[in-house]
Amino acid sequence: MQFKPILAALLVIAGASAAQAQLRLPVIFPLGRSNAQPPAPPNAAVPGALTQGALIAAAGSDTVYFSANGATVDPTATATLAAQARWLLANPFATVRLEGHGGPNDSRDYALALGDRRANAVRDFLVLQGVAPTRITVMSWGKERPGKVLIGQTLVAAGPRVVTVVVPAPMPMPMQPAPAR
Amino acid sequence: MGGAFQIDRQRRLILFRIAKLPSAAGLLAALLLSAPAPAQEPEPAAKVIAIPPLATEKITDTDAGTTWGLANQIANLITADLKLSNKFIFADTQKVRIPSYPEVTAPAYPQWRSVSAKLLLTGFVNARSDGRLTIGCYLYDVQSGRELARQGFAVSTSEWRRAAHKCADMAYVKATGNAPMFDSRIAYVAESGNPDTLVKRLAVMDFDGANHTWLTSGDAIVLTPKWSPDGNSIAYTSFSEGIPQVRVAEVGSSADRPLLPGNSESFAPAFSPDGNTIVLSMSNGGNVDIFAVGSSGGFPRRLTTSPAIDTGPSYSPDGKSIAFISDRSGTPQVYVMDSDGSNQRRVSFGPGDYGSPVWSPNGDRIAFMRTEGTVSRIGVMAVNGAGERIITTGPNDAEPAWSPDGSQVLFQRIDPTSRRTMLAIVPAAGGDVKPVPTPQSGSDPNWAERQE
Repeated sequence: MQFKPILAALLVIAGASAAQAQLRLPVIFPLGRSNAQPPAPPNAAVPGALTQGALIAAAGSDTVYFSANGATVDPTATATLAAQARWLLANPFATVRLEGHGGPNDSRDYALALGDRRANAVRDFLVLQGVAPTRITVMSWGKERPGKVLIGQTLVAAGPRVVTVVVPAPMPMPMQPAPAR
Repeated sequence: MGGAFQIDRQRRLILFRIAKLPSAAGLLAALLLSAPAPAQEPEPAAKVIAIPPLATEKITDTDAGTTWGLANQIANLITADLKLSNKFIFADTQKVRIPSYPEVTAPAYPQWRSVSAKLLLTGFVNARSDGRLTIGCYLYDVQSGRELARQGFAVSTSEWRRAAHKCADMAYVKATGNAPMFDSRIAYVAESGNPDTLVKRLAVMDFDGANHTWLTSGDAIVLTPKWSPDGNSIAYTSFSEGIPQVRVAEVGSSADRPLLPGNSESFAPAFSPDGNTIVLSMSNGGNVDIFAVGSSGGFPRRLTTSPAIDTGPSYSPDGKSIAFISDRSGTPQVYVMDSDGSNQRRVSFGPGDYGSPVWSPNGDRIAFMRTEGTVSRIGVMAVNGAGERIITTGPNDAEPAWSPDGSQVLFQRIDPTSRRTMLAIVPAAGGDVKPVPTPQSGSDPNWAERQE
């Protein structure tokens, strides 16, 4: 609290004039930046195309799942990731972003940390399979994209998982001639 | 409220102590005024307080209605504030004469004794020639006939509510010995849209929901706003660059900046009590640790090094310690360390997963969320982990925040019927949960006393 006992007469006068001078109109401002590009839509599998659809067609899935609090790549996930690694090795120009997710019951911060840990566990696995680390970026959504999966007839929360998202590679640039001296 | 994210860039309140009263004041009053409020033991029993309509010297039209209308509204707002504290019983002021203007400083004590009031809160509202208002409040001990406190404010007509909150704070502090809590603001995340593509915007409002403004546009997900100690800025986590990163928004202007350069993930920010440091989590190849950074940027100093997740840091009010979450034991638990990272020790040992520890304003307790299975609830414990007590019933209660005086805990929950995420408040010792209304769904609350 910053109320200082001050003689009133002085302050009332000083305060009134200062306050009038400082009145400012509200301003309208957009804060923050727009989101990064959304995940690539699952395109139809085109042989040789570096698309999400091609990855899913080749590897069976773009998603691996984890236990609550866990970041261990289990045998099911191992099979999927090994297939993703084979596709990445067969398509050396493809780059991927690994998006990790926490669970709906995690605290906000811990979900972000867990998503990050899971994405890095997948990254480590892909690197061990021979995928160049420079082709992989990782990020965490925490619990901000809970997602749904169809199990039987019902949609259930997708929960702890990592999604391998194929990132459109920058167009190869022609070699630039050396600048003239 | 629409989409206008406007903010009153400067809502300065000119506050002054009343030195000249509308009529003569007692010597004792002057004595009490000059001395700081002595540390009092909170009364275990609620006190009966009478809050009649304020008086006005002359009924005058203002931009906010007549001074007489304001006098009634201010008394109502003070009453509403004090009701929230559960520390008062309200005398029936219908049964007695409304105080005249001179009676503001010379109360008719017998009539207040007749309605069993122990305390009397009166005051006045006057229009000033410059278009502003002068609002004065007086607290009296009815039994002894003594003045306990008084405060005066010169405010713009649009800010009379702040003066009323200040009056409520004056009575609350005097009667309970607690810190003030009513002239305060809540920062939170306003949510709209469907669950998988929620639009999340940083929002700020007075603790009672008035003066609601949005600080971000909704283009990017934002999380966990935390007030700076001076109330001028908010540290938060934003996905504006595609990954979670800590940013700092100035509340009174459009300024908004990333705290750290580069493209690494950072989240879970919290200010140090002196405002010079922000602690946060950063990831290094899957190892999330806690770092300390100057609040205007700089090189992050590493505080934890365990290969486990360390996140959710919260400073003690003396700045010497930090509570945080670590899963080095296998499950997320509350730990405490010195603010340089030394002396790390586990303090929580209950069942389930702990999250989002927050140190209380008076330094003696830590509030947290605890999840067992799919049920999350809010709890409070001593800083050494003793006396843990779960104070809400769940099933989706999360992200606790202390009231500025440490008497209440604000948190988010999912309303079981509407499935909306909403803010709610519960006494820190447990008790009735009350909803805190927001225009849209709300999450990640943080509550702080205004400082200007």
